[in-house]
Amino acid sequence: MKLRAVTLENVRRFTTPARIDGIGDGLNVLCEPNEHGKSTLFDAIQALFFKAHGSRDREVKELQPHAGGAPQVSVEVETEQGLHRITKRWLSKPLAEVTRDGRLIAQADEAEDWIAGLLSGGQSGPAGLVWVRQGMTHLTAGAKKDQEQALEARRDLMSSVTGEVEAMTGGRRMDMALTRCTEELATYATATGRPRAGGPWKAAQERVEELTAARDQLSETARALHDALRSRNRSRRELSELEEPSEVQARQDRLAEAQQAFDAAQGHARKVEEQERAVAAARLARDHAVSRRDALQGALAEQQAAQKAVTEADAAAAAASDATEGAEEKRKQATEDLERAKAARQSAAEVLQRARHAQAARDGAARRKELLSRIEQAEAARKNLETARAAARHGPDAQTLRRLEDLAQALATARATRDAAAAQLVMRYEDGAAQVTLDGAPLPDGTSVAAPHGGRLALPGLGTLDLRPGPGGAGEAEVEQAQRALAAALEKLGLPDLAAARTAAEARQAAEAEAREAASLLDAHAPDGIDPLREALAQIPQPQEETDDLPPLPEAEAALSTADATLAEAQSAQATASDGLSEARSRSASTQAALQAAQDRLARAKQALEKLGDTTAEALATEVAQAETALTQASGTLATLREQAPDLASAEAHLKRAKSAEENARSAIARLRPEIAALDERIRQGAGEAVEERLAETEQELTAAQADLDRIEHEVALLNRLKEALESARASARESYFAPIAAELKPLLQLLWPEAELTWEDAALLPEALVRDGQEEPIRILSGGTQEQVALLTRLAFARMLARDGRHAPVILDDALVFTDDDRIERMFDALHRQAGDLQILVLTCRQRAFRDLGGRALRLESVEG
Amino acid sequence: MPPFRFIHASDLHLGRRFANIPQPPDGNIRGRLMEARHAAIGRLAQAARDHGAHHVLIAGDTFDTATPSPHVLRQALTAMGEDAGVQWWLLPGNHDNLRDAEELWATLARDAPANVHALATPEVRQMAEGVSLLPCPVTHRATGRDLTAEMPGTATPEGDIRLGLAHGGVVDFTEDGAAIPPDRDRSARLDYLALGDWHGRLTVSDRVHYPGSPEQDRFKHDRRGGCLAVTLGAGAPEVAEVETGSFLWREAELPLLAEQDADKALRDALPATGRRDILLRLRATGWARLPEQVALTRAAEDAAPDFAHFELRSGALGTLYETADLDEIDRGGALRLAANALRDESEDETRAETDRTIARAALARLYAYVKEDSA
Repeated sequence: MKLRAVTLENVRRFTTPARIDGIGDGLNVLCEPNEHGKSTLFDAIQALFFKAHGSRDREVKELQPHAGGAPQVSVEVETEQGLHRITKRWLSKPLAEVTRDGRLIAQADEAEDWIAGLLSGGQSGPAGLVWVRQGMTHLTAGAKKDQEQALEARRDLMSSVTGEVEAMTGGRRMDMALTRCTEELATYATATGRPRAGGPWKAAQERVEELTAARDQLSETARALHDALRSRNRSRRELSELEEPSEVQARQDRLAEAQQAFDAAQGHARKVEEQERAVAAARLARDHAVSRRDALQGALAEQQAAQKAVTEADAAAAAASDATEGAEEKRKQATEDLERAKAARQSAAEVLQRARHAQAARDGAARRKELLSRIEQAEAARKNLETARAAARHGPDAQTLRRLEDLAQALATARATRDAAAAQLVMRYEDGAAQVTLDGAPLPDGTSVAAPHGGRLALPGLGTLDLRPGPGGAGEAEVEQAQRALAAALEKLGLPDLAAARTAAEARQAAEAEAREAASLLDAHAPDGIDPLREALAQIPQPQEETDDLPPLPEAEAALSTADATLAEAQSAQATASDGLSEARSRSASTQAALQAAQDRLARAKQALEKLGDTTAEALATEVAQAETALTQASGTLATLREQAPDLASAEAHLKRAKSAEENARSAIARLRPEIAALDERIRQGAGEAVEERLAETEQELTAAQADLDRIEHEVALLNRLKEALESARASARESYFAPIAAELKPLLQLLWPEAELTWEDAALLPEALVRDGQEEPIRILSGGTQEQVALLTRLAFARMLARDGRHAPVILDDALVFTDDDRIERMFDALHRQAGDLQILVLTCRQRAFRDLGGRALRLESVEG
Repeated sequence: MPPFRFIHASDLHLGRRFANIPQPPDGNIRGRLMEARHAAIGRLAQAARDHGAHHVLIAGDTFDTATPSPHVLRQALTAMGEDAGVQWWLLPGNHDNLRDAEELWATLARDAPANVHALATPEVRQMAEGVSLLPCPVTHRATGRDLTAEMPGTATPEGDIRLGLAHGGVVDFTEDGAAIPPDRDRSARLDYLALGDWHGRLTVSDRVHYPGSPEQDRFKHDRRGGCLAVTLGAGAPEVAEVETGSFLWREAELPLLAEQDADKALRDALPATGRRDILLRLRATGWARLPEQVALTRAAEDAAPDFAHFELRSGALGTLYETADLDEIDRGGALRLAANALRDESEDETRAETDRTIARAALARLYAYVKEDSA
């Protein structure tokens, strides 16, 4: 669709018809100062397309001139079918018609449908026009910082971008409906769909819960009241039954009767008991008689047996006594024999001892003498040895002496060495010459004398000549050192000189030799030491006085052997006799004991008989028979009594029952009276609190509250459903249009800002930020100019998208670029020109100067005559 | 013998609190309803005086619950005692049955004024010279048996009027055998059987009547409550209805047609006068377009404050979707898509009824938003 001409009549200031003609393809500019009716033109065109001719709403009425009249707008549009003229008149004699080539093709509602078809190209298609209304691009975010308002501003921006597609996304109306829906929902629910605290939904829920709880509690109380009523009825009935006079009488009668029966049964039982005691006594008497009879018989028999036993034991005791006496005699004889044999053996043994001693003394005399001599010599040798050893410990030993000799030698060598280096004096006396002395010592003739230390030569007759050696006499130090070493060694040994050392060493050697000699002598005499020799000596008995009566040794030995044999025989005989005696004695003792026992038995038997008194066996037999009869009689009586006895246990049980019945009745009465009083009180209280009345009320309230809750839940459900329907419709509409728009927008943005891009908010599908040179600038902080440029380009993109679909939509810009500077406007117009290639763009502006030279077809709004 | 006159009433339900009636924060409809019940005592006494009667028989449910609050009981007894010339005969009903309300009846026997008679036992009472009253007090909330069964065998002095007083249904809905036989008057040779329990007026036969509650308490009977002024003479009893109720509980249907002006239809259905004492429930039925539904709701909101209680139930009202109505939401685009989706869902018979109802309501709401916005 392309616009070709617009005619206004009775539209605001245009009371007379005004017309724009010759709107061409591409860019068209209507440049008029303010108040020349550009906005009116804009509104008129919008009304023509979007306001039904029958509409009388505010926007339509606003088109009316002050003077009144029916606003009328005609537009000539070119479509594929040809040039059409659409005319609409509102308010009075409303009219809508479409003509093609002067021929009417639709009017009234049909014309509206035709227009709708033209705009939408289908029910949910886009509008055939893209509008940018004056100020619609203006974003308030530059002045207001509030985030929410910024969002709303952007929504306005986009809503106006898509505004003319309101038919498509619902636009402002959709926003309004959603806002209303969300607001209403928010009074009930949270964002997550749960009842909001403090909201009516939550309140209704709580009310229902509260009332349910109250209802439950009240019905519990009411139930308790009913229970109390029932309990009281039961208790009262029970009490009245218990207190019924006939019932009371019956209870007492039953008790008296049972008591009587019980007393009778108890009396009989006592009789039975007495009889039982009588039977027991009779049985006791019978048993006593029988035992007395049996005792007598036993005692008599015992006495006889005991008598016999005494007689026999007596005889045995006498025989045993005789045997004992014989055995005693025998043992006495044997004992005497033994004593004699012991004495004989003693003397034989003594003789043998003495004989042996004498022999030994004779045998040891020579040996004693030898031993004495050896001991004497050994002791002398030991004494010498000790002395020599003591001497050998003094004086240097051979090694020490050798070391001394070495030292002396070293000294001599040192002296010789020194003297060899020292001045030598050789005196050659003239005959008779006085003796010269060196330091007092005569100086020999012709002999070289060394004077290492110098010295004073006494030259008789001449005086003295002092020799003084030069400094640092050679070898002097060595001599002194050797002297010191020798002196030290000698001092250590405590010897004055070497000669004494030699003497001492000789003495030591001699002592050592002497010690060795003494030691070998000692060893020869006493190889094991002297003590063993002395012990051997002590072993040899001292010789004793010789006695002549001693028999020779063998004889003595044979005598002793004989005495030993005799002694052994006597000992054996004595032991045999002792055994015989002991046996006889013990036999005699046991026969004595048997006799004693038999006598005791007899005594006891007699005693027993005495105890039985002077009764006879016959008398006792009679007594037994009588007791037996008495017992039989008593037992018979008891059996009869027992047979006749009434059942005491059941009589007692009966009585017990009767008593407990009475007792129970009494305690039940005692229990019931206060119980009933308590129930009375509880019931009175419950009734006074009007439990049932409150329960009924609460139930009614609960029903109402539940209905209220149901209503609210229904409301929430419908709001949720509506919200969901709206959101999904909007989302699907947006999805189908926003992506292509974004694609179209990109190249346009880059005309103004190379490399620029818009980012879109996912959730709201609104432009979020402009990205330039990698810098992301939120839409709201962009300058007004930039914002309107973005908005404008977005619209162009939209138009391009439509054009690409083959649906050309004129883009109408009503002073869309108020904030844009002239330079930018030029570039915008480049964009517009570029777009105009395949779009029809109609620019309405008051900025004459800025737009004058920008090209595009200039349009005029002209009055139409007649 | 002069004719015997008395007032037959039942089901006063004193102490009923009407918590199920929504009460606006500044209203007191519940208080007024309670008060009206109490006022019925005075009206019954007045009806007795107007009728020249000295007796008021209340056939059960004098009190709404077994345990009325003390002041309800006390004020009722005081009101009854005001005119010593009127004898009150109170029969226990199922609400104030003997077992649950034992204490209530004990209190009545103890504290009631001399002219108030509590009929807590079934023994025959001599109401007046030559008039025997055969009461059948209700013993339990659900007795499960016909309490009038003993009546035929109950002896009264020869020649006395036999006046039966009972509480219960004559139609055995629950089949538990508790219903009173409709011919009990004949089987028990009664001159009149005064029944209670049914809150509406009902004539069972010449001699067997339900007077209904003297003050209505539900949307059911569509008339004000009342009592019966009965005259027993020779021949059939004369039974006159006396209106005592101050509130009218009305439930009415508002059938709508597609092209009808809903606003007008509703206004026409409203009573012209006495609205303050009317509880009105309108059930809209039929079909209405979206604009009509909006108009109906607005009209209802407009009318409601006039009435003691007003509610419009439009659950049974179907919605007609004219394209033009949907066009008013939007001719196309997302709003229209949403509207179409909701309409389709509401008409989709494969969906659950609740979902369809919600979708329908959501669509109506959307319509209302759009209309509000363009208004």
